[in-house]
Amino acid sequence: MFNTKISQKIAFAVLFVSTLITIIPVLIIIAIIIKNGITAISWQFLTTAPSNGMRSGGIFPAIVGTFYLALGASAISLPLGILGGIYLSEYSKNNYFTRILKLGIVNLAGVPSIVYGLFGLSLFVISLKLGVSIVSGCLTLAIMSLPSIITATETAMSSVPRSFREVSLSLGATKWQTIRYAVLPHASPGIITGTLLSNARITGETAPILFTVAAFYLPQLPNSVFDQVMALPYHLYVISTQIPGISKSVTYGTALVLIVFTLSLNLFGIIVRTYLRRQKKW
Amino acid sequence: MNKRSFCLLAGIAVSLAILTAGCSREKCNSIQIKGSDTMVNLTQAWTEAFTKENPGINISVTGGGSGTGIASFISGNCDIISASRQMTVEEIELAKKNGIEEKEYIAALDGIVVVVNPKNPVSKLTVDQLSDIFMGKIKNWKEVGGNNSSIVILSREINSGTHVFFKEHVLRKGNPKGTEEFSPNALLLPSSQAIADEVAQNSGTIGYYGMGYISPNQKLVAVSKGPKMPFIEPSIDTVKKGSYPISRPLYLYTKKDAPEMVTKFIDFAFSQEGQEIVRKTDFVPVK
Repeated sequence: MFNTKISQKIAFAVLFVSTLITIIPVLIIIAIIIKNGITAISWQFLTTAPSNGMRSGGIFPAIVGTFYLALGASAISLPLGILGGIYLSEYSKNNYFTRILKLGIVNLAGVPSIVYGLFGLSLFVISLKLGVSIVSGCLTLAIMSLPSIITATETAMSSVPRSFREVSLSLGATKWQTIRYAVLPHASPGIITGTLLSNARITGETAPILFTVAAFYLPQLPNSVFDQVMALPYHLYVISTQIPGISKSVTYGTALVLIVFTLSLNLFGIIVRTYLRRQKKW
Repeated sequence: MNKRSFCLLAGIAVSLAILTAGCSREKCNSIQIKGSDTMVNLTQAWTEAFTKENPGINISVTGGGSGTGIASFISGNCDIISASRQMTVEEIELAKKNGIEEKEYIAALDGIVVVVNPKNPVSKLTVDQLSDIFMGKIKNWKEVGGNNSSIVILSREINSGTHVFFKEHVLRKGNPKGTEEFSPNALLLPSSQAIADEVAQNSGTIGYYGMGYISPNQKLVAVSKGPKMPFIEPSIDTVKKGSYPISRPLYLYTKKDAPEMVTKFIDFAFSQEGQEIVRKTDFVPVK
């Protein structure tokens, strides 16, 4: 009797400590970045271009660049990924072809980001002659985020109970009507969260944009989708490695903006999901 | 139908954007400069000053290394290369195959001086001696004709281009396959100014930095390439002539038939203001 109680307490303690250990680094990172970076944040920092050899001024072009890249990549990857996920979950037959397709998607998710960067360089920049440009960068990022969007969509679709489909079909609805009205509305919270999370991830990526779009310094905003842009992750990388004598608050300030950018995308996803879940009737 | 129509709209918007924005780079008034990490701060400073005077021209600067810039130039993806080495014959041939003829400019020189405290009697060293000192093999000044006191090595941090250049051209004597490293006892300082201040204050120190930081508070060391070669004092003249051993030219490359705004940028780099920027970013002006 005594022994089982003690072992339960030990088990709980171990579980609790493990959880704590996984959370502590995150909290420390955020605390350090806020502590060192908050002094750099000002209206001028957020709205002007870097000056004085990137040591002062702001990071406006990098913020805009990251925003364009996230937007462009989503515009390409969301339709493709969601439609592909719906096909895989609802229409595909469980045959050899589908299994190869699914295996491919799983493997695509495991490809290192630098490989996507080099792939984008050789396909979009050089072969398709799109140049080092926003288009090339968005396409590279889109391909990189596809696997997680497809997987999120597929998982969300298949987590909708089978009975929903059976009832809808038994009432005479077509397969598309069933998917559209009986499955998709219930799967959308999962789809939205999955896609927003994958978007948050690609906004922080450096390797895929390194060769395809990112500029070390480009004070103006792009004129067309064939221009380069500055991007927050790459900007952070170069100011911490290439600029001698830059003040610490500028690098931490940039890191802070990037983290806020990514976290707010995550937060937005969570809010939308909570809102949609509340409307669920099951 | 919300989601589907959104997707459709987004798809149409993207394809429209790609189709309508089909203006070439020249028309869009943009120049892409790519290449050397050593020069990236210099090209950045040029661009910053140049775009202040010519606000209509959109210039992007990207680093990555001289090789990256040259490769990108060969495949037609950049307008100006900044390079800390010359294009090789093979690279020029490759560019020609793609219909690109290059034009070479030497826009600045990179000279690195070795400094000691003014009280130190040592005033000349060979590259071999420098290599041994910075690797920690020679530990006392008397081994190179100085006082009986230990040598304090000052170096820049690893991310500094000067650090890399010094390692490659002095420690490794230009051998690209060399594995020589700075002595673990070397003090890594965050800026050239910090090295200059430390050398001025402490008699046992030795350090190195770009020529922009020369001042009377430190003594310049004359350097010779080998045991029987003459010792050369670092100066803008000897760096320009190429007789001072620790120096190299910095190149800009454009296409032979470059558009006007590209030549305008090159002209700016060679202008008085452009060359003043060269000096301010610790390189040697060519004019």
